[in-house]
Amino acid sequence: MPNVENMSEKWSSSLDIGKFRKRVCASPIKFTGIAILVVLVFIAITAPLIAPHDPEKTGIPYQSPSADHLLGTNDLGQDIFSELLYASRTSLVVGFLAAIISIVIGVSVGLMAGYYKGWIRELLMGMTDVFLLIPGLPLMIILAAYLSPSMWNIILVIGLLWWCSTARVVQSRVLQVREMQFIESTRALGYSDSYILHKHVLANTKEVIYAKFSLAVASAMLAEASLSFLGLGDPLNISWGEMIHFAFTRGGFANDMWWWYLPPGLMICITVLAFVLITMESRKDSRLVELI
Amino acid sequence: MKMLRPNSKTTLYISNKVFRYAITIFIILTLNFFIPRMMPGDPMTNMLGEGARWMDKAYLDELRAEYGLDRPLHEQYLTYLSSLARFDLGYSINKSLKVKDLLMERIFWTLLLVFPSVIIGGAVALILGSFAGFRQGSMMDRLMTSLLLLLYSSPSFLFAMIMVSIFSFHLGWFPLGNFASGKMHGASYVLDVAWHLFLPIAILSLFEATYTYLVIRNSITQILGEYFIFVARAKGLSNRVIELQHVIRNVLPQFISIMALNFGFMVSGALIIEIVFSLNGMGTLIYDAVISRDYPVMQGAFLVLTFFLIAANFAADLLYGIADPRIADAKDSI
Repeated sequence: MPNVENMSEKWSSSLDIGKFRKRVCASPIKFTGIAILVVLVFIAITAPLIAPHDPEKTGIPYQSPSADHLLGTNDLGQDIFSELLYASRTSLVVGFLAAIISIVIGVSVGLMAGYYKGWIRELLMGMTDVFLLIPGLPLMIILAAYLSPSMWNIILVIGLLWWCSTARVVQSRVLQVREMQFIESTRALGYSDSYILHKHVLANTKEVIYAKFSLAVASAMLAEASLSFLGLGDPLNISWGEMIHFAFTRGGFANDMWWWYLPPGLMICITVLAFVLITMESRKDSRLVELI
Repeated sequence: MKMLRPNSKTTLYISNKVFRYAITIFIILTLNFFIPRMMPGDPMTNMLGEGARWMDKAYLDELRAEYGLDRPLHEQYLTYLSSLARFDLGYSINKSLKVKDLLMERIFWTLLLVFPSVIIGGAVALILGSFAGFRQGSMMDRLMTSLLLLLYSSPSFLFAMIMVSIFSFHLGWFPLGNFASGKMHGASYVLDVAWHLFLPIAILSLFEATYTYLVIRNSITQILGEYFIFVARAKGLSNRVIELQHVIRNVLPQFISIMALNFGFMVSGALIIEIVFSLNGMGTLIYDAVISRDYPVMQGAFLVLTFFLIAANFAADLLYGIADPRIADAKDSI
């Protein structure tokens, strides 16, 4: 069976440790980001297995950190450490899904506006400019306040309002790409617009889109944290931002219980940082930072 | 005759901008009108708060007629626009005050928080950013960039809470809550307000600085690679002249537009900072309105904030035209 042998050879070569090390050394910053995210996703998936307590089980409130409760307990006597582990699920899911929505909208708007000239571009970019001018957080607050507080509504609100900068970045990249010679040749060969858009333009903006997606997750997570901090979060799916909200409104902050509000805050910080780090190339990190 | 040409172009540029902003304002007003009417649930509940659910049906109908919610949508829209023209933003549900009066009282303090932060943060970012940009790869650059990147990825309220905990709770250097201690006049009052606002403004400025710093450092690196810098070096110009006259001059337009866009970011930041410091500005107003579901206040606050943002962006556009003469020349501006 030569085929299988070929396959296994391919596998072993792509999993070659030496090669892997080379790639890590080529961009250590990027791999730090990836490593952090792998750990975080692992925590989120295995939360029920590694959490020492059920995060919803109540007990003695306002306990200080101890061996049994690593980060103490909150106002309801729930174990803060377990809550922290479980909250990673909500925070990551909201960040990812909201970013997917915003990227899909932003990329389609940017592609269309960059590729077609004339009124389509005017209309789309005009719309983007309008959305850029609206203060994001206040509008999100209003929408989230009207809608019932659920994770899905927050995902929708963030995703539907956070696509403008993606649209702009993608548009300017597409403007560059569409002027390239090979696009003109493809057009001269008689290929349709949709073929060129999918096959060539999209392929050449891929890099920008990946980077922008990662940054979109980061900013979606920050937006979610702000909304939750204001008390607009989903009470059934506690996120890190919401943990800080409870610590802030229920005496954790006033009583200087730093073990209550600091860990979730640091988790947000680390996660957002990891998503930003992924977009960085070590030699010219300046290039992509501008996408933020 | 020579003077006339750029002038007419500038007018064209400005009128084009005015037209765009007019459309933007129209869209935002319309959005604000439709939000309570499009959202799930009864618009009556949306406008009167949760209390409307337990009210008598006949009374509700009466109220509905009073608010004009029983009339066709386009009539409602016209009434809405005409009341806005009279600066009538309706009544607060909980505080039984005019929304306009509530906002007038609060907006001053929020602006007092935002404006100095925008200016200080922008200046800090410009100085640090150019410093790091010119000496890219140095210890200083690495240290500052990683520090500001860390700050950029931390939520503003967390940073504010840590600062409050250190400087107000533990060290007791700065007061908490309120804009002034009261019962003071003249210079001592101003100093007192400055003392109260020091920490929030410092935090907001730092937040403003993070993003702007990254952008400036970045664009300086890009400009340093341009051909005209190479030529300037070849001419034998000193580093100082190149940096100040050629590079910074080219960074300025981008700096201005970033500052304007940041204004929105800053307003959002100020809202959160106010809540952490319990300052009575727009942020706490919106926060209280969110908690008590006081929809007219939320929407009024949203409108007012948006108008300030639009004004700031318009000012930036005018400045941009001056800072970068090429923009007014370009046929199809961004």
